[in-house]
Amino acid sequence: MDDPAFWQTLRLTLEVSLVTTVILLILGLPLGWVLAHKRFWGKRVLESIVLLPLTLPPTVLGFYLLLLLGQNGPIAQTFGFTWAFRFEGLVVGSVLFSLPFALNGYREAFRSLDLDLIQTARTLGAGWRRVWLEVILPITWPGILSGSILAFAHTLGEFGVVLMVGGSIPGKTQLVSIYIYDQVQALQFGRAGEAAGLLLAVSFVLVYLVRTLEDVWRSRMP
Amino acid sequence: MEIAYALKHPVRLELKLQVQGFTVLLGESGVGKTSLLKAIAGLIPASGQPFSGLRAEKRPVGYLPQHFALFPHLRAWQNVAFPLAHLPGPARKQKALAYLELMGIAELAERYPRQMSGGQQQRVALARALAKEPQILLLDEPTSALDMATREEVFGGVLERLKSLALPTLAASHDQWLAQRAHRVAVLTRHGLVQQGSAEEVFTRPKRLEVARLVGFRNLWGGVVLRLEGGWVWVETPLGVLQAARPDWVQAGQKVWLGIRSEEVFTLDTPQNRVLGRVCQLRWQGLRLRGQLVVGEVALDFLLPRYKQTQLGLTEGQQLEVALEPRFLHLMPAS
Repeated sequence: MDDPAFWQTLRLTLEVSLVTTVILLILGLPLGWVLAHKRFWGKRVLESIVLLPLTLPPTVLGFYLLLLLGQNGPIAQTFGFTWAFRFEGLVVGSVLFSLPFALNGYREAFRSLDLDLIQTARTLGAGWRRVWLEVILPITWPGILSGSILAFAHTLGEFGVVLMVGGSIPGKTQLVSIYIYDQVQALQFGRAGEAAGLLLAVSFVLVYLVRTLEDVWRSRMP
Repeated sequence: MEIAYALKHPVRLELKLQVQGFTVLLGESGVGKTSLLKAIAGLIPASGQPFSGLRAEKRPVGYLPQHFALFPHLRAWQNVAFPLAHLPGPARKQKALAYLELMGIAELAERYPRQMSGGQQQRVALARALAKEPQILLLDEPTSALDMATREEVFGGVLERLKSLALPTLAASHDQWLAQRAHRVAVLTRHGLVQQGSAEEVFTRPKRLEVARLVGFRNLWGGVVLRLEGGWVWVETPLGVLQAARPDWVQAGQKVWLGIRSEEVFTLDTPQNRVLGRVCQLRWQGLRLRGQLVVGEVALDFLLPRYKQTQLGLTEGQQLEVALEPRFLHLMPAS
């Protein structure tokens, strides 16, 4: 690859994906637990909202985010900062757009966990900290990891949301998928091909990893 | 130990219960046995004594759910070491091994739960519960996950070990086999705790019809008391007038339930309570022969040892006369 801009774009893409994945882990684990094991009023509404990015056109989500985070948006007017066309805007868009992928993994991992294990651990003197660190996480980590990898891979390949909310500013908000589009527009098929090949390879490896983890996880279930 | 608990959810339940030695809480599924155990362990909200107000992790209770809940990612000894987190590493393992030894399974220490049979998993789970040095042990349906055929072999030994520990143990179960081997039995029905006492007392003298059904009375008929005389009472039943031992509450003219166990329907040559009927539905149950004696509208269930069948050579359709020993006919008030 002879284009120095590409490496910058790739680096930014990986940064956005990594930060997004970490935020999803922090947000998604408690949310996944609640959706797997708690019953409350309005649960189905919440489930529908978090699944919405699966069916919504990315441009729709991106459009609303642009209104929300843009210069004249409610956030700018209330708190005085603008996240549109910035790294932060890309992350917010990516978090929302990849939420269902991470959440599905977490929720399934928690759902298949036998609650008797947790209750018994408590009667054996373990507080919530020990229950999470020594029972829940050691048993469900393959599911959690596979949800995170899927979310990471999905963020890598995102296009519509980041284009709307980020605007494809080279070196600032341009991600690999948009880079490929721009190269095709400029009839640079060689560069587009190399970048596309790299994304293909990375995606395959990540999805392969997820499948492997699923098998590991199944073999661990009693 | 006296247990007095009240819970509202998932079942409404309020009871006072004596736990002495190995006590079985006998009842059908859905009456709240599991909920009561969880309430005592602090896992569902309830009020009562002892341990009220303590969080689950602070209660001196050993709790064993139906499928034992061994941690699948930990070896047997690590499972047992789970409640011993306050000890330093080597002492922790040593103590865990000692508890496995106590349950007679020291050789399984390095195995994972999936590498063990149900009976072995149960012993590990018991060792783990005991390692916490609880004041009471709570077992939820301890025999239901075990194979019926090997229950005696698998759980018999465990039961003897538990009894020898002199630790109050409350086992929720619908298993008559287990209840017969308990020190004490408490019977829970939809109407609450209806009877508690020694196993012998509950099994031979159930106070109510529903208890009689739970402890295995298959022959139960309604009747009316005709007359009383000395220690005996005569009752009009669908099988004819039967003589039975007289309980202190009974009065002439009273409606009662009358019951006898299948294994106590004998072919004796006593003059009282002779019943003539037609034999049907003969089938072997292990080494015993179960059958029914049809008398008019009523079928009398009986269970014979093998040697008896060798003597009698019963066949379906034949006539047979049995005697219902008056001392074994049990009376209950019709409520």
